[in-house]
Amino acid sequence: MAHRSQFTAARRDRLTAASVWVVVPAYNEATYLSRVLKKITAVTKHVIVVDDGSRDKTATIARRFTDQVLVHAVNLGKGAAMKTGCDWAFTQLGAKAVVLLDGDDQHDPRLLPEFVQLLGGKARLVCGVRVLSQMPLLRRVGNETASILIWLLFGQYIKDIPSGYKALTKKAYQQLRWQSSGYEVEMEIAARAARSRIPVSAVNIPTIYHDTNKGMTMLDVLKMISQVFSWRITI
Amino acid sequence: MTIFQFVASSFAFFMMYVVSIHFKKRNLSAAETSFWVTTWTVFVVMALFPNLLLGVVDVLRFGRVFDLLVVIAFMVVSSMVFINYFSHKELSAKLERYVRAQAFAELATTTKRKPRRKPAPAVGTRKRVTRKRR
Repeated sequence: MAHRSQFTAARRDRLTAASVWVVVPAYNEATYLSRVLKKITAVTKHVIVVDDGSRDKTATIARRFTDQVLVHAVNLGKGAAMKTGCDWAFTQLGAKAVVLLDGDDQHDPRLLPEFVQLLGGKARLVCGVRVLSQMPLLRRVGNETASILIWLLFGQYIKDIPSGYKALTKKAYQQLRWQSSGYEVEMEIAARAARSRIPVSAVNIPTIYHDTNKGMTMLDVLKMISQVFSWRITI
Repeated sequence: MTIFQFVASSFAFFMMYVVSIHFKKRNLSAAETSFWVTTWTVFVVMALFPNLLLGVVDVLRFGRVFDLLVVIAFMVVSSMVFINYFSHKELSAKLERYVRAQAFAELATTTKRKPRRKPAPAVGTRKRVTRKRR
C-alpha cells in the first residue's frame, strides 16, 4: 500500500492516479506473469495485459489480476503488442501516460513511481537503465553498440536501448508511434525519440535475467541493425 | 538439342504443369493461367531456338544471346522481389490492424465498455468490428 500512495503522490502535479496505465506485453509468459502482476497490482490497479497470441495460459492468468486483457489472435511480436496496449490505454481508457513493462519478471514494479515522477516533470520518455556490468558479455556488447549506433545516426546517446521498462506520455506516444512489430521496436523508439528531440530521462533499474534463452536472438539483432539505417532515411 | 536446352525446356514444362494444377485448384483465373502458359511457352521457344533472339541481341548490342537472357532474368527476379516485399509489408500491416481491432472489439464486449471511439482502423475490417459491437 505504501507503494500505491507513493505512486499517486508522484503524479500529483500533472498526472492523476487514473491517468497512468501499466502495459504488459506478454507472449507465453505463464511461468512469470502471475508473479509480475502480483507485484504490479500492489502498486497500481491500472494494468493492461496484451497476450500476443500465446499458446499457454497467459490470458487466463492475466484475467485473475485485471479485466483489461487484450488478446491477439495470432502472435504479432512485441512491438505490435506494445502498440495495442498503448492504443487501448490512450484512446479507450483516457490515459495520459503509460508505463511499459515486460511480463517475464525482469522489471521491478516498485520503481513505477520513479518513472511517473519523472514524467510529471520535463521528461516525456523515461527509460529504465540496467547496470551494464551485470549483463552477460554478448548482451552488453549489443547494448553498447545500439546506443553508439543511435548516437552516430541520430545524434543522441540513449543508454540501455533494449530495456523494455519505459514510460511515456500521450504526447510522446503520438510522436513515437512505431511501425516495428518485433523486438526492433525498442531501437525504433530510441531512434524516433532522438530524431524528434523528445526529452528523455532515465531511471536506474536492477539487472535481472531469469531466462537468457528467451527474448532477442542474433537474427533479431541483425534485423535491427539493417532497420536502423533505413530509419535514418525514413524517420 | 544440347543438355542445357533439354533441362530448360523440361523445367518450363514442369512449370506449366504447376500452373495447370493451380488452375484446377482455382488459385489462378483463366486470364492468369493464359499469361503463365504463354510465358513458359515463350521460354521453351527461346531455349530451343535461341537464334530467334539474334536480332534483338544486335539491336541492344549484347555480345551473346545468353547475356541478354541473364539481364532479362535478373530484371524479372528483382522486380518480383520488389513486388513481393511490398505485398508482404502491406499484408503484415493489414493483419496487425485486423488482429488489433479484433482484440479491442473482444475486450470492449467482455468488459461491456462502450469504446470512446472506433479502434484503430483496420482495412477491410471496419464493418465487421462495428457489427460486432452492436
